[in-house]
Amino acid sequence: MSQSENRKPILRVDNLVKYFPVRAGVFRRVVAHVKAVDNISLEVYEKETLGLVGESGCGKTTAGMTILRLHEPTSGRIIMNDEDTTHLFMPYFQARKYLINTYVKPFEDLKEKAGSVDSAIKSIEDEFDVKMAKLYFEKHNGSKSSFISDLMSDREAKRKAFRRQSQIIFQDPYSSLNPRMRIKNIIAEGAIIHKVASRSEVMARVADILKKVGLSEDHMSRFPHEFSGGQRQRIGIARALILNPHLIVADEAVSALDVSIQAQILNLLNDLQEEFGLTYLFIAHDLAVVRHVSRRVAVMYLGKMVEVASKTELFENPLHPYTVSLMSAIPIPDPTKKSKRIILQGDVPSPINPPSGCRFHPRCPIAKEVCAKEEPPLQDLGNGHKVACFFPGEMKR
Amino acid sequence: MDKKPLLEVKGLKTYFHTDDGIVKAVDGVSFEVYSGETLGIVGESGCGKSVTSLSVMRLLDEKGEIAGGEILFDGKDIRALSDEEMRKMRGNDMAMIFQEPMTALNPVYTIGDQITEAILLHQDVDKETARKMAIDMLRKVGIPEPEKRVDEYPHELSGGMRQRAMIAMSLSCNPKLLFADEPTTALDVTIQAQILELMLELQKEYGMAIVMITHDLGVIAEMAERVVVMYAGKVVEYADVVTLFKDPKHPYTWGLMNAIPRLDEDKDVLYNIPGVVPDPLDFPKGCRFNTRCPLATDKCRTEEPPLVEIEPGHKAACWHIDRLVEMVKVSRAGEGA
Repeated sequence: MSQSENRKPILRVDNLVKYFPVRAGVFRRVVAHVKAVDNISLEVYEKETLGLVGESGCGKTTAGMTILRLHEPTSGRIIMNDEDTTHLFMPYFQARKYLINTYVKPFEDLKEKAGSVDSAIKSIEDEFDVKMAKLYFEKHNGSKSSFISDLMSDREAKRKAFRRQSQIIFQDPYSSLNPRMRIKNIIAEGAIIHKVASRSEVMARVADILKKVGLSEDHMSRFPHEFSGGQRQRIGIARALILNPHLIVADEAVSALDVSIQAQILNLLNDLQEEFGLTYLFIAHDLAVVRHVSRRVAVMYLGKMVEVASKTELFENPLHPYTVSLMSAIPIPDPTKKSKRIILQGDVPSPINPPSGCRFHPRCPIAKEVCAKEEPPLQDLGNGHKVACFFPGEMKR
Repeated sequence: MDKKPLLEVKGLKTYFHTDDGIVKAVDGVSFEVYSGETLGIVGESGCGKSVTSLSVMRLLDEKGEIAGGEILFDGKDIRALSDEEMRKMRGNDMAMIFQEPMTALNPVYTIGDQITEAILLHQDVDKETARKMAIDMLRKVGIPEPEKRVDEYPHELSGGMRQRAMIAMSLSCNPKLLFADEPTTALDVTIQAQILELMLELQKEYGMAIVMITHDLGVIAEMAERVVVMYAGKVVEYADVVTLFKDPKHPYTWGLMNAIPRLDEDKDVLYNIPGVVPDPLDFPKGCRFNTRCPLATDKCRTEEPPLVEIEPGHKAACWHIDRLVEMVKVSRAGEGA
């Protein structure tokens, strides 16, 4: 959507990679890596919902957790509210190295190639990189040490700010609430740690938020086991809201709930988004749910982003064979609409040893020779519809 | 329908005696299954859909008890059978596949051992033939290299493959009736599509009847010919699949259908079924749905609605079938709230 180009991305993820080491033997040597997230990029715009969808093991949850730095990214850049947050969570020397490799070195190379600072800055296309280049060349006169010490200052405060601005709602409302804490303490914990207000003010706010999520003040002193699954999920949502976050990562937030409760929670999330101007990264495996809540949808397969588009565009005109098959695999609750399904052969391959080229090629009904050899890039085919396939749109439902 | 049903369940009551009291998990459930058809049982967790199938298979644990009703399989009363006779029936006449194949399969035996065990119990064949039959069965359910896979343990197979192995085991003695309890809920959608397709193919080949138990209305629409909708241990609606989806009569069925987001159409707001499923130890009086039903009146709170036939083959248990149109208004009024 052209509309989204004008909007400001609240979250931007560039080339995010997360590998988990596989250890074996007496010395726990690393024998392989699980390539959970392998070079994905995405943007989430202000006040929108980006649906991140894929089957189990595709890396969607890891992506969400890594964005929130609940996992350390292996590499990549995570920009939130127009600030690079990547180096905030690294050990000191690693952070320094990251800043030099991401900014200082490329900028110096550009300057050398372009001849002057001005033309170097002009040659940068990316808006955020331009901002960083200006910071480097103009504010810090191309001084590496002053640029770095500027970015490395107040890391603790910046980290905390990031934690305040981004929150998560977990899938399982049973294991995500501490059974030995009272509801009010569960919800207030974040606000108290971040010292946003006095204890009595925080408690007043807890009561207020409980009402907003459809519970009542009377519930404040109870324990999690006194609540049903749907109510617990409401408590999880209240906990995410207490710090007035900008971004909420909802990781399969309704998957564990019954159909009637799922509808209640989805409606609640919608209402809260309107009221508080929230931005959601909505991670789910259920395409119908994602369709209901999202403005844009990103489809992942085996650690890769295969398609990103606005909701209408994606559901009316899916271009990647995986998206097409995924949609056709979902049973439609209407017996008169029995369509012929595309049945994919085989299982999702292991992310430890993913297939060469396009990772979908062993299961793809239209795969050709090139698909096994080269990896298709994620290309923008207009209207913000991006797809990673050599033959986009060739497979029809 | 004047055919004789393969399975007839009449007024089935299954109670569990727990420390906190008696849980009436299934309380007066009746339905029929005809040869070769697929009957869907749909409902949310705790509605008694799984307990119904376990009762018919007589697989309840020691706390559970069939407290009333009749279960007729091929005219035989299952409740009157001895344990020995029942054991012969299970696997041979009726079989079951479960939601989570990892817990349903024994992790310390190979797939082949587990399938041949069933074959050896029910058929008069030697070990070698049984093994060959197991391999054939694995091939039929689409497991590649069945000669090799037959000697593998459950953990060596993926979720989809394990479910295939489960199906192979349950069909190895060619049962007339197969209970499938949420067979695809633990699987990814692309694998779910494979398994559903496989079940349809095998049904065509073997002609067994399937009772498909699920919470997923999509799976029901795709697979079932007739559908039982359960709520809190009761059948609330019973109809053929097209009628049920086109013209639901019970407020719960209507609510369920309007509460799910759809892949094929946009909905601004999902219908909210207010509240939660009632506590099975303390079901509400009268209609068990009355606490969550916008149409509920005093009558609903005191008298239990019977399951009545509205039109041939379409039954519903509600006092206010004629007022269902009001639900549409209620859901509109609820928008934005």
